[in-house]
Amino acid sequence: MTRCRSWAEPWKIKVVEHIRMTTAADRDAHIREAGYNTFLLRSEHVYIDLLTDSGTNAMSDRQWAGMMMGDEAYAGSRNYYALEDAVREFYGFPYLIPTHQGRGAENILSKILITPGDHVPGNMYFTTTRVHQELAGATFHDVIIDEAHDPASDHPFKGDVDLDKLDALVREVGAERVPYTSVAATVNLAGGQPVQLSNMRRVADYCRARGIRVILDATRAVENAWFIQQREPGMHHHSVAAILKLMCECADGATMSGKKDSLVNIGGWLGLREESLAEQARGLVVVYEGLHTYGGLAGRDMEAMAIGIRESVEEDHIRSRIGQVHYLGQRLIDAGVPVVRPLGGHAVFLDAAAILSHLPREHFPAQALAAALYLESGVRAMERGAVSAGRDTTGENRYPALELVRLTIPRRVYTQAHMDVVTESVAEVFEQREQVQGLSFTYEPELLRFFQARFELVGRRE
Amino acid sequence: MKFKTIIEPFRIKTVEPIRQTTYAQRIAAIRAAHYNVFQLNAEDVLIDLLTDSGTGAMSVYQWAGMMKGDESYAGGRSFHAFVKSVNDITSFRHVIPTHQGRAAEHIISRAMLKAGSIVPNNTHFDTTRANVEHCGAVALNLPIAEGHEPQTIHPFKGNMDVAALERVLRENVGNVPFVMITVTNNSEGGQPVSMENIRRTSELCRAHGVPLFIDACRFAENSWFIKTREPGYADKSPLEIAQEMFRLADGCTMSAKKDGMANIGGFLAMNDDALAATCRNSLILTEGFPTYGGLAGYDLEAIAVGLYEALDPDYLHYRIRSVEYLAEKMIAAGIPIVRPAGGHALYLDAKSWLSHIPPHQYPGWALSVALYVEGGIRASEIGSVMFGRQSDGSEQAADLELVRLAFPRRVYTQSHMDYVAEVLLHLRSVAKEIRGVRIVEQPATLRHFTSKFELLPN
Repeated sequence: MTRCRSWAEPWKIKVVEHIRMTTAADRDAHIREAGYNTFLLRSEHVYIDLLTDSGTNAMSDRQWAGMMMGDEAYAGSRNYYALEDAVREFYGFPYLIPTHQGRGAENILSKILITPGDHVPGNMYFTTTRVHQELAGATFHDVIIDEAHDPASDHPFKGDVDLDKLDALVREVGAERVPYTSVAATVNLAGGQPVQLSNMRRVADYCRARGIRVILDATRAVENAWFIQQREPGMHHHSVAAILKLMCECADGATMSGKKDSLVNIGGWLGLREESLAEQARGLVVVYEGLHTYGGLAGRDMEAMAIGIRESVEEDHIRSRIGQVHYLGQRLIDAGVPVVRPLGGHAVFLDAAAILSHLPREHFPAQALAAALYLESGVRAMERGAVSAGRDTTGENRYPALELVRLTIPRRVYTQAHMDVVTESVAEVFEQREQVQGLSFTYEPELLRFFQARFELVGRRE
Repeated sequence: MKFKTIIEPFRIKTVEPIRQTTYAQRIAAIRAAHYNVFQLNAEDVLIDLLTDSGTGAMSVYQWAGMMKGDESYAGGRSFHAFVKSVNDITSFRHVIPTHQGRAAEHIISRAMLKAGSIVPNNTHFDTTRANVEHCGAVALNLPIAEGHEPQTIHPFKGNMDVAALERVLRENVGNVPFVMITVTNNSEGGQPVSMENIRRTSELCRAHGVPLFIDACRFAENSWFIKTREPGYADKSPLEIAQEMFRLADGCTMSAKKDGMANIGGFLAMNDDALAATCRNSLILTEGFPTYGGLAGYDLEAIAVGLYEALDPDYLHYRIRSVEYLAEKMIAAGIPIVRPAGGHALYLDAKSWLSHIPPHQYPGWALSVALYVEGGIRASEIGSVMFGRQSDGSEQAADLELVRLAFPRRVYTQSHMDYVAEVLLHLRSVAKEIRGVRIVEQPATLRHFTSKFELLPN
């Protein structure tokens, strides 16, 4: 893709939140206290927070106005109906089950669809999604195309499903042991990489012919739709909203974290097409989340999400959103920093294995790089490599092909000047990369270890 | 003080319009809702007394806190503000936010219970009971005998039957992972538990080495009852009383949608380090990272502020008095209610009021339907629909058939209450015409939320 022309944010700033620079000595103390895990830093000790784009969005004045119109009735709140309308209009799922966030929807979906011993194929794992599948008794199988695992490949749709891999799995275990195929758009751990509409259609055709459902992880589907518009032949004249709807038509259901695309700080949903499944899901939502017309959300949160959905598909919004990510990515490429190519939708992923090639995988180069970046400049990033991948069933560390550090850009929060600071900070760490030391666990939780794990430096050079 | 009138200790900053409906519109709406008031559209309700959970009006300070919400995924300053408030009030070392109270119950149940475990409680609330039973454990209610007698006046009808608890602990050594005490006792009519009773429960639990958890949803209201009814507490502040109460326990579950004065949120707090680690790991799976627990940063701020507002003596005075005000009107009119009036709700005694409707025709449910049809008022049944179905699928009448008129915090005025009283007086004159109901369709758990009903012939 050619460099983007200049774009401007399609909004102006209405409310600000102060941030604070720290000294190197402060940061050294803070990162030690956090066990070299950026998740465990206090946010007030962070200068620019690129840990995640999840729930960190700035809401619009329209969304805040919606917040004031929250109907907090326990049952039958009008905000529920507003959300139901927005989901039907833009995603096309007739049955809506609100949840407090995306993992609430994953929990319920896994429980209603999976029987122990089942197999779930998907275009690369995601941390919480796979854990819910495994807890329900299924085995996850990665059926993403090989290019996804190669950070240097510039395939335009690295999120695509490899139909041959999918077919091989279905033949091996039998279609009746495959309750659904999970299609994420975009694919977070591949680097925010999109799936092609034509690929989704082929997956849908393949699965429907065999009685297998397709479940869309719609978390960043709007960003995916923008890539389809920009890159897929014949799609340039379709609106992002129209493409989103076409994508959803390929799925029988979707789990959604509104904390990403939908520009809110909390909220998610499960969308379904089958009434009987929706009934089962409602029976569970009341146990885990809340009554089915609020799902563990305040009424105002549903209103903010309904408005956020409408804002998220506006062309100007999505162009500037991804434009900003690509601005940062291109500056890092210009500085010679190895990043995952092509640039993804919500984040720039640093190739930690390439940057810290002197560190063995068992010293967790991505974790070490994230810690080093914080020490350098107070920029907080997230490890997406072996620590996130966890251990396999035999207790061995999984070493995924990609050992990445994610610089995730919250929506509508930071300016171009903030991105310039991030570029300079990463470039500085890159210059000094041979000084960066590896890490080893001092505390390792059993599930989703990356959230709360603690580390110490190995081979400290005095 | 020289004047007797108790005013709301606030003025109104923002209003939300409510809508009058006609009798014909309400008939159509309740039919469409299959005679289940949970299924009504909120817009079709004039005065919504379904619950005091998450329906409160936040203060200007809470809204200011909302604007200060730190939405960082990890380590946000709103989380630290939240922990500071909870620590100050409860003194528990570990504070784990959850998206609401039932998630806290779910996590503690999953961490501590196994099939066949017994959990004694003065009275489990519906979600607590569902979470306990979901783990295959037995939810055992041990209220004092007076708790079952709507007309008996006792200052602390929510108390635990300590003698019964002692028997249970003695006869089930090793099989009671924790004891819970619910303040106030919601299912028994929002009745308070005395400090003396909590202390004796605590001593008993400690003697048996069993941790005590407080279901703290309405801890502030309970503190007010202790202050006004229990000897020796008149000069203590509600905050001091709450602090003393929590020090007697090893942990608590909390729905901040009640005495957290918030529209969403809850928490789990405890002293045990190993248990807290287990709970945090479980939290990440279903709720969120431990520094946000499935809440937005702005929610954590609103709770941090709200917990103190709930303990303000002027607020509590007004709050408890509002319920008493309606109760006095009912007593004067001879309408049977649970006495004394509870903290957050007035409970109509449907069993004695609608004695022509047998328990299997759900008199409480029938009354909740009539309240809506006649006056556009929404209230909830706490009786045989909520509690009647046993874990083996059989049906057993609940001890009490109540209809709860729950008061949202700081939402309705005295004239709204005067209207409610008028509707109830009208219902008294047509009580004999109220018809029982039958369940047409029901889900496996928590059936009151989604079951469909039909009216039975008179």
